Amino acid sequence: MIPIWYGVVAFMLIAYVVLDGRNFGAGMLHRYVARTPEERRQVIAAIGPLWSWHEVWLVGFGGVLVAVFPRLMASAFAGYYLALMLILWGLILRGIAIEVGGHINDPLWQGFWDVVFVFSSFLLAILFGAAAGNLARGVPLDAQGNFSMPFFTDFSVRGQVGLLDWYTVSVAVFAVVLLAAHGATYLTLKTDGAVHDRSDRYARWLWTAVVPLLVLISFESWLVRPDLRGGALANPFWWLGALVVLGSAIALISGLSTRRETRAFLGSNFLLVGLLAAGGAALYPVMLHSTLAPENSLTAQAVAAGPRALAIATMWWPVGFMLTIAYFVFISRRYVGKVSVQRDSHGFY
Amino acid sequence: MDSHLSDPELWSRLQFGFTLTYHYLFPQLTMGLAWFLVYWKWRALRTGDERYNRAVRFWAKVFGLNFAVGVVTGIPMEFQFGTNWAEFTRFSGGVIGQTLAMEGMFAFFLESAFVGVLIWGEKRLGQRYHFLAALAVALGSWLSGYFILVTNAFMQHPVGYQIEPNGLLGIASLSDYLLNPWAWVQYAHNQVAALVTGSFVVAAVGAFYALRGLHPSQARLYLRGGTAVGLVASILVALPTGDQQAKMVGAHQPVTLAAMEGKFQGGPMAGVALIGQPNVAARRLDNPIEVPGALSFLAYGTFQSYVHGLSEYPETQWPDNIELLYYSFHLMITLGSLFIALMAYASFQNWRGRLETSTGLLWVLMLAFPFPYIANTLGWMTAELGRQPWLIYGLFGTRDGYSKVVSAGDTIFTLIGFTGLYFVLGLLFLYLTGREIAHGPDDPLPAIRRGSDRELLVVPESPAKPVVAGRKAEPMP
Repeated sequence: MIPIWYGVVAFMLIAYVVLDGRNFGAGMLHRYVARTPEERRQVIAAIGPLWSWHEVWLVGFGGVLVAVFPRLMASAFAGYYLALMLILWGLILRGIAIEVGGHINDPLWQGFWDVVFVFSSFLLAILFGAAAGNLARGVPLDAQGNFSMPFFTDFSVRGQVGLLDWYTVSVAVFAVVLLAAHGATYLTLKTDGAVHDRSDRYARWLWTAVVPLLVLISFESWLVRPDLRGGALANPFWWLGALVVLGSAIALISGLSTRRETRAFLGSNFLLVGLLAAGGAALYPVMLHSTLAPENSLTAQAVAAGPRALAIATMWWPVGFMLTIAYFVFISRRYVGKVSVQRDSHGFY
Repeated sequence: MDSHLSDPELWSRLQFGFTLTYHYLFPQLTMGLAWFLVYWKWRALRTGDERYNRAVRFWAKVFGLNFAVGVVTGIPMEFQFGTNWAEFTRFSGGVIGQTLAMEGMFAFFLESAFVGVLIWGEKRLGQRYHFLAALAVALGSWLSGYFILVTNAFMQHPVGYQIEPNGLLGIASLSDYLLNPWAWVQYAHNQVAALVTGSFVVAAVGAFYALRGLHPSQARLYLRGGTAVGLVASILVALPTGDQQAKMVGAHQPVTLAAMEGKFQGGPMAGVALIGQPNVAARRLDNPIEVPGALSFLAYGTFQSYVHGLSEYPETQWPDNIELLYYSFHLMITLGSLFIALMAYASFQNWRGRLETSTGLLWVLMLAFPFPYIANTLGWMTAELGRQPWLIYGLFGTRDGYSKVVSAGDTIFTLIGFTGLYFVLGLLFLYLTGREIAHGPDDPLPAIRRGSDRELLVVPESPAKPVVAGRKAEPMP
């Protein structure tokens, strides 16, 4: 039961990153791919009506985390207190910027909210990247399963670490480039005209930059967590994740080079899924690694709710999930197709 | 170290209380307004009367702004279970996690998937699906309310749980937990109170237009809908839901009832104070004017029923701020009674056909809309202050629930941050909502870049035209 729930929680977090990641990416590139006010509205319209649906995956993840791994939520959320508050404030600014920017047709008003949108998107990509790096590297958990850490200490990855060190900063940089590439691929699919052409160019550049960064991050992870090497290679899910990365990289390259935009975007989505799934598989069964002493690490077993809570959640979660997929199919079928400057700069938002 | 400034419990309580109170200003309107949208859309489908569609389009815009602020202020609520109330989450996550997760899976996904198309997708969806989108959003928002009320009801009156071998709470019966009698009563009370907020806001906008002589057919629709729903909902808030809620408190939290009423001494023929201030130091109610026996009757069914007094319980079990609890409860009751009176009079004038010409009444209706927000807030303050000093009544103290690793200073810092951010958010919300209301339900703002302008360009019958004609055709009587 616990491995399944580890998978479900990981799945919901991955779904959030993949879905909202496109919005972070589009947000970071907003000022670069869109040069005129109309083009900027076009980018917003491409994200438009579904951003809150994407963000709800984070809420869904949080809720399921409390239900099945309450003690992980307690340790991790309190330990990351200030960083999480920054994420919350970033999410508030991002949502408001999307929502109110289009309300008044005034260059100062829209220009201001566009800058807020870009700023909050960068902030969120950096913070989520650093968070991913922290999950991989571990945190200074004590014997009671608590930790509290500063933003940075001596930038080393062992012992009393901080939120930022050489490893988590490089993961944050990687996340910015990766999500920007993901967002550019989405905009290529979803827009036409000048925004499409610029997004297409950005997508090529950014995905090219992802390759060496991915090699570097993999090597760094191999150095930072030597204890995971054997387990990852023996875990079939790690290999599955690696295969998905490989397959989606091929789809992405062929999609970008032959301008099959749906294929490229699917490749981009599954590349993120594969990377995160491989990471999740490598970490299992530890959910929060202790940099102070391995025996302080919190395993899925140690933080899980009682067996009855897991059994009960197993009965309703699939129902909720099926319904969610049904809404998604219904809604996205109504938003198929490109968003255009001429038609849609007045649309949605 | 004894300074309150360095007490993390206090600041975590203030932060959660502030962010939750602020957040709930938005969902209460969403939940109240949602059924107006469903009803008007249904009428539009059945009668083909374009007035109803215009009402839906206008209120959907107000709904959208409100929903967006509700979403962004809602995420901090869930996060704070972990950030500020880690020990509480550790102890009770095995139970309350069920409903927090169900809220996400069953309510939020439904609501957020359909709210976009409700506001911007009428032409994309077609009329029938647009109605279904309104219904989906209404159901989603009310479901979300239910899961949260079940969570709160567990904190007020824990049922369906067991103590696991490791000493933490686990769920014993999902049906007992979801069907907590406290949850049903509290849910009914809370939801009709949300309808009161929705109906007062709808009526206020109607009164504003009527006073200015604008959009007469829409003003009539809002005034009639607002006062009719407002009367029924205001009555239901008091009877039976408020009455049942008080009986529930009397049965399961007698100390809380005593504190809500400022009863220091127990006894039969206990009265309800109309006027009076609790003087906790002297253990009495100052200058009380009471209706004798009313509390005995309301809480336990007969005038002779014995009502416990605070002096029968050790002070450690008293709610930790009796004055605030007392004032919240009493002001809520006062406001609730005034709502019934106002809406009854407005409905009477409406029945006589004089509602739209009674200038004084229209002024009152226009200015009354903030008070349901205040009453809802006071009701929640009564519930949550009354629950003290427990996080889970009788099981887990508030003092044991906050995050031990988060310092008071960290929380003061983030509370100040939330205050500033929410202040700006409130200004933005009021400004943009005011703009929508000032512009009114006729046609999309010429300067605005939203709505389904794209389709309006394609489909020639923009709602603007019949409205302008309608305005000339039906001047204010």
